[in-house]
Amino acid sequence: MGGLWHPGWRRIVFCGWSWSHLGSPARARPGWNGTGDAERLGTWKRMNPAAQPPPGPKSKNPFTRAQDWRRRRRNKMVLTYVAAARRLGASYAAVPLYRLYCQTTGLGRSAVAGHASDQIENMVPVKDRIIKVTFNAGVHASLQWNFRPQQTEIYVVPGETALAFYKAKNPTDKPVIGISTYNVVPFEAGQYFNKIQCFLFFYIDPEFAEDPKMVNVDLITLSYTFFEAKEGYKLPVPGYN
Amino acid sequence: MSTAMNFGTKSFQPRPPDKGSFPLDHFGECKSFKDKFMKCLRDNNFENALCRIQSKEYLECRMNRQLMAQEPLEKLGFGDLIDGKSEKK
Repeated sequence: MGGLWHPGWRRIVFCGWSWSHLGSPARARPGWNGTGDAERLGTWKRMNPAAQPPPGPKSKNPFTRAQDWRRRRRNKMVLTYVAAARRLGASYAAVPLYRLYCQTTGLGRSAVAGHASDQIENMVPVKDRIIKVTFNAGVHASLQWNFRPQQTEIYVVPGETALAFYKAKNPTDKPVIGISTYNVVPFEAGQYFNKIQCFLFFYIDPEFAEDPKMVNVDLITLSYTFFEAKEGYKLPVPGYN
Repeated sequence: MSTAMNFGTKSFQPRPPDKGSFPLDHFGECKSFKDKFMKCLRDNNFENALCRIQSKEYLECRMNRQLMAQEPLEKLGFGDLIDGKSEKK
């Protein structure tokens, strides 16, 4: 069957081959399968260099082809799972990432902790959320002032301005300049605590009532501490950012 | 401040008070208003909402005596008390 490999014989070969498959097994080569193996027919491939190999598994062996399909299906499945996992992870990561973005760019932050005077004008007190504010006063050990609050506590609601008094007395005969810092406990409530003027006119931001983390906060403690100030000393603004 | 802060939590800038510090009332010019306010607080169990008129009067005293920067009362949160003192909350 040398003629089989001759280019001119390809059509004839093809026809003859299928006939031989059907009709005369004696003419089939040993080891030759009947389904048409293009690789065995080297001429087929060579004669059609421009033709694309048909999509699908490359091998014509049914066993390897099934394996091929299985492998491809498995790869597709894996890719789908990976894509789904990636999307799920992205939706979880979006929350802290967005928060971080807001922190760095400051967008949306000003709405929460804004203290512009027009905000005071328009804010509505949240009447059903009564908060007890207690006052502490302290001095640094080297400062000899008597410094104390004039009321131990006051009951306010968010959105309402409140007045409170502290009393300070210098028992020495030298004039002393003091600088004070203040501290708010619990820490997260501090962002809602807006001081208009020391000592002490303040209000709690009405957004406090909408913060889910503040739901159980009914007591805010404000602590002032006085330190002695040196002449001409300029305080840096605290904070890392 | 921002110590002990981890990735997801907010960190916020501490802010100095809007108007700084009240000048000291060395001569006690507004002492009577302050005493009225403190008395009101003590009588009302330290509820601020019931003593807002007295706190408004104290701040007005301060503003009149140059012990506080002049500011319209609405901007200090007393908008509801300006229209009528009878409008008590």
